[in-house]
Parts: sequence; structure tokens; C-alpha cells
Amino acid sequence: MTDQLEIRDLEVSIGSKQILKGLSLTVKVGEVHALMGPNGSGKTSLAYTLMGHPDYRVDAGSVSWRGEDLLNKKMTPDRRAQAGLFLAFQYPSAIPGVTVASFLRNIYNAIHHPKVAAAVASDGAMPKYTGIPLAKFRKLMEEKMALLQMDPAVAARYVNDGFSGGEKKRLEMLQMAILNPTMAILDETDSGLDIDALRAVAEGINATLSPEMGVLMITHYQRILNYVKPQFVHVMLDGRIVMSGGEELSHQLEANGYDWVREQVGLPAGIGDEVSEPVAEHV
Amino acid sequence: MTASAVSALPESLDSNAVARLSRDEPAWLRTLRSSWWRRVEADPWPSSAAEEWRRTKLDDLPRDGALLTDPPRATYEVDSALAEQGVVFTDLASAVREHPDLVQSHLGRRETIIPQGSIWARSLAAWTGGTFLYVPRGVEVDGPLMARTELPAGDYTYLPHTLVVLEPEARVTLLEEISSPDGASTWFGGTAELVVGPGARLRYANLQRLGDGAWRIGAQRTEVGQDADVITLNAEVGSLVSKMGLDLRMSGKGGTSKLLGLLAAGGKQMIDINSCQDLLGSHTTSDLLYLSALYDEAHAAFYGVTRVRPDAKQTSSYQECRNLLLSPKAGAEPIPVLEIETNDILRCGHGATAGAIDPVQRFYAQSRGLSADEAEQMIVRGFFERVVAQIDSEPIKARILDALASRIGYAELDGIAA
Ligand SMILES: Nc1ncnc2c1ncn2[C@@H]1O[C@H](COP(=O)(O)OP(=O)(O)O)[C@@H](O)[C@H]1O
Ligand SMILES: [Mg+2]
Repeated sequence: MTDQLEIRDLEVSIGSKQILKGLSLTVKVGEVHALMGPNGSGKTSLAYTLMGHPDYRVDAGSVSWRGEDLLNKKMTPDRRAQAGLFLAFQYPSAIPGVTVASFLRNIYNAIHHPKVAAAVASDGAMPKYTGIPLAKFRKLMEEKMALLQMDPAVAARYVNDGFSGGEKKRLEMLQMAILNPTMAILDETDSGLDIDALRAVAEGINATLSPEMGVLMITHYQRILNYVKPQFVHVMLDGRIVMSGGEELSHQLEANGYDWVREQVGLPAGIGDEVSEPVAEHV
Repeated sequence: MTASAVSALPESLDSNAVARLSRDEPAWLRTLRSSWWRRVEADPWPSSAAEEWRRTKLDDLPRDGALLTDPPRATYEVDSALAEQGVVFTDLASAVREHPDLVQSHLGRRETIIPQGSIWARSLAAWTGGTFLYVPRGVEVDGPLMARTELPAGDYTYLPHTLVVLEPEARVTLLEEISSPDGASTWFGGTAELVVGPGARLRYANLQRLGDGAWRIGAQRTEVGQDADVITLNAEVGSLVSKMGLDLRMSGKGGTSKLLGLLAAGGKQMIDINSCQDLLGSHTTSDLLYLSALYDEAHAAFYGVTRVRPDAKQTSSYQECRNLLLSPKAGAEPIPVLEIETNDILRCGHGATAGAIDPVQRFYAQSRGLSADEAEQMIVRGFFERVVAQIDSEPIKARILDALASRIGYAELDGIAA
């Protein structure tokens, strides 16, 4: 079975600091995995590494997607996206001056319309557009925005520029819905959302979910898992997955906190946790 | 040098050459040229000690080329109805022949700031081309006027002068575009005088697409009358060296102006802008916004002075200069200077930055399937948008975006191969 994202004994560092210390995890297409862990345990570093962030150096281990080696130099972030990977950022970047509509159309075409080798017009005239027809794209965008209960006016705003936390997370989900990836990594998409936004985002995820898509849902809190049901839950501490189980694990974690996990696996309290904090988020 | 394009006899720039230019011209123009040439002789080059000239040395200016005495003429199209209302839109030499009184009463009447004095004087003495636009009182010209000139190849000197006069309450939008082939050591002057009368509205865009060996040493003087409304845009895309002096005079009470700039430079290009926003009248507003994207080893310098005179009460002024460095060897040096001579102002400020693209922003765009180049182009496109969005004429916007396309691609064409 190669229809999966397979991470084996992954060791990653940034500068001289080791962050992932031998992490293994397999997510099959069609499965939803939750990855939980305290702040600083390395969740975002894992997500960035999977997407090919150049600053994260892989020292050991392997990552393959559908049998293809993702650690190959040729697999730049754009190639990974074209291979079906998607990362919803914990802190999405703003791109001032580029409207949401223009951005979405650009990335849609980048994924779904392989480039044609258009002859460069010698007279300096604009080359011909070969992407998705505008009207068709509009329709797709409006449909997906409605699904996520987004204000249509967002399409004319600049990407994440002056967006609230909730607006940014919805836009991440809109991009996912439009790109229709086969493996989505959602990095704390639930953080900082009020209950309505959380519900809208969760509905968006559920509407995009399909048996053709795998999900690695990184989260700090159990809350979102009430809406998006994972088949597998993993707990990450200090750059490793230290515990795995079914959905019930998220409830145990919610009730007992990460120190309970540390006790279970024989780590001293506070290890792998930058700021000790309760698991439940208060909104 | 192509002999056919340039006058057969090399015309080096001296008093004889200026006199020869004037041979068939009316006496008033002969006098005008020679009086400006005397200024050149008295003070031929800017002092490199002047703050405005410390960053661009003229030692390597290709000054031995012949004067381009028979420049290609842009096509000047103006509606016959407008012509009947008195709008004149033609090249300066034709205007001298067809509307001598009009030209005589406006051409070469005004001084510019001292650091630009010799540049200004030289083109007023030795101009052989340029645009003349006159819009009478209360006449509104819909749609943009365009003067596009494609210069020939050659190591010549060309010092055109453009004169735009808007009488009170007139309205017009003009694009001047200049291009030349790569590889020639052309000395291109390019001065412009924009006189905007009370209550008039001018939108002026200048698109510079000179070849990669050209030196552009230009100056623009803009006078904004009472309650007039002016936006100028200088888009600098080509040339090896581009030096532009902006002399803006907010002389009439209540006038408003914006000086916009877009720079896209690579290779070893050097672009040096010095602006002087001189607030003379009360209740005036003057904003400057220059955006530059610098690639390879390109450098840009901005020495901008805002001068708020004692009578310029209740004024608002700002200069903003943002530089995106797309290569570790590119550089930008913004130097704002504020000289405020009254306490009674609303605002006078500046903002300047120079920095690379945020790597996370680049990674974000790339993680969505855009190649590193596409991601960069999109980010730069967005960066330019603050100025591009202010071009309200679609045909002018299209010309400018076309000139920038080799750097930033086309926003509309995201399905296309690079
Ligand atoms: N760019 C970076 N430079 C240096 N240290 C980093 C960088 N990114 C993350 N780290 C460190 O790596 C560890 C894991 O961080 P991160 O992956 O963001 O954890 P999480 O997402 O679980 O909160 C933390 O100690 C953090 O300080
Ligand atoms: Mg994180």
C-alpha cells in the first residue's frame, strides 16, 4: 500500500538545534489523524518539513508520499503541492496588493493547469491565457466561500492583509477546498477561533474530506475533534510521537493534561513543553 | 550609430550646434535658446559636492555622441472636436510653427532648482523633440493622450523637452513613453515642465524603457496652481543610469499633488531620484510614494527634500519610499530631508524601508504550487499595487504593466508558461 504519507525516524534541526528527534508516522489516504502536543514540541516544524521549508534540515530518516521520496532535492514546496500535499499554516502570511481572487486563481492554475510551453510572443504582446476560464473559476470560488460561510467581499481583499485570526483560518480552508489536495496537513487551524468560526472551519474541512484525502490535523486542543472525527490520535512531546491511540486518547488527554502523558511514558514533568499550560482552551 | 537615423554630420553640443538648430526658427526662439546656452556655458555641470549629485557621477556620461537632430516623431492623436476647442497636442517643434504665440508665452520661462539648473538649461537650449500639450480654460479631455516614441539605435545625444500647460479648470491625462534598443550608449535628457493652472486636473505618466546602455539624465518641474489636482507617475524600467530631478512647486492655495514612482531595475542599473516638494501656498497637500524592486546588482538612491515655507500653513506632506531588494547585491538608499519653516502644519513626514522578501511569505506562496519565480513575481506585483491601483486610466495602466511584465509577469495570465 503506497497510497500514504510515510514518515520514518525523522530527525530535523534548524541551525544547531535539533527539533525532531526520530519521529515516525504513517497517514493513509482516507484517514484522519490528529497530532496533539504542547507548545514547542515540534508540530509546526514537522508540518514545515513535510512541505519543504528550506530552513529545516533533515539529518536522518525518510519521508515518502505515495511511494515518492519527498526529501529529494527536486521536491520543492511547489512540487509537493502539485503532488497533492497541502499545508494550512498556523500563521498564514499576508501578501499585500494581491487579491484573494487573483491569488486563488493563480494557485488553482498552478495545481490544476499544467503549464503549456506557449511560444513567447515576439511582438511583446500579452501571451494568451490558458488557465481555468474566468467565469468557471468565479463560480467555483463563490461556491466554496458559501460553504465556509465567508463574506464574498473577502475575494477583493488582499491575501491575509489585515485579516483577523479567524478570517485567516477560513481563508486557509478556502484554499484547501479550492485546491482539493490528497493529503492535508492542518497546523492548528482551530486555534484562536470563536465557536462560530470553529464550526464553519470544521464544516469546511468535513465538506472537503473524502475517501481520496488524508488529513493530519495538528492541534493543541480536543475541541475541534468534536467536529472532525479522527480515527487516530498521536501525542507529540519533545520532537517525538510518544503515544498513539484512537479518538478516546484525545479525551484522556483533555481530562489529564500532558503531564499525565509524561508520567505514562516516563518523562519528567515539563519536558518538551515551552510553557506549561492547560490543555483546554478558554474562549 | 545608424547614419540614417542620426544627422549625417556629427553635431557635438556647443554654441554653434545650438545656433544651427535655431537657423530656421523664429527670432524669439533663437534668443531663448542662446540665453539658456549661456547658462550652460557659465555652469555646465552639476557640482558633485551637491547632495543631489553625490550618488551619480557624470564622468562616464557618453557625451561625445552627435545630437539627434531629426528624432522620430511620436503619433499625436487628438480628437478634432478637442482641437476645435483649442487643445493642442503635438511635438514641440510643430507647436512652434503652428502655435508660436502659445509656445512663446510658456516655453523656457521658469527656472528650476539649482541642482538641476544645468540639466534644465541644456535641454531648453538644445531640445530637438518633446511633447507640447495645451488645454484651454475649462476644457476637459476624456480618455488618455499618449505620446510614445521609439528611438533609433545609436550613441547619440537627445535632449527632448516636454511642455504641458493646463489653463484654469482644464483636465487631461497624458502618457509619455520612451524606448530605445539595448546596447547603445545613448545620452537621453528628457526634461518636462508641467504648468497646472487653478482648479485644473492633470494626470501625467512617464514611462522610461530605454535600452540597457542608455543614460537618462532628466528633470521634471511641476507647478500646481490654486486648488489644482496633480498626479505624476514616473515608471523607470530601462536605462543603465537614470537620474531624475523632481521639482514640485505647490504654489497655489489648496492645491493637491502626488508624485508616484515605480522602479524595476536589474543588472548594474543605477537609479537616482531627487525630489523637492516645495510647499509655498497654504492648505496644500503633497505626497510622494516611490516603490522600487531591485534585482541583481541594481541600486537606487532617493534624496528627497520636503520644504514647508513660512506661508505654507495648514499643509500636509509626506514622502514614502519602499524598496524591495530581490538580490543580496541590490541596494537602496533613501534619504529624506524635512525643512519646516512654520509651526502651523497638519502633517509633514516620511517613511522609508529597504529589505528582502519575507522568506515565510515566499514559502507560503510556494507551498500553494507556485514556483519560486512565480511566487516572487506575485509578491512584487502585490508590492507595486499601491501605485498601480492609483493609475485610473486603463490604457496607461496596461502600458506600464506591459513594461514591467518581464519582471513581474502578468496578473491576468496565471495559466501561462513563463
Ligand atoms: N526558525 C526557528 N529557529 C529556531 N528555533 C525554532 C525555529 N522554529 C522552531 N524552533 C524551535 O523548535 C521547537 C519546536 O517549535 P515548533 O515546531 O514551532 O513547535 P510547536 O508547533 O509544537 O509549538 C521550539 O523549541 C522552537 O523554539
Ligand atoms: Mg506550532
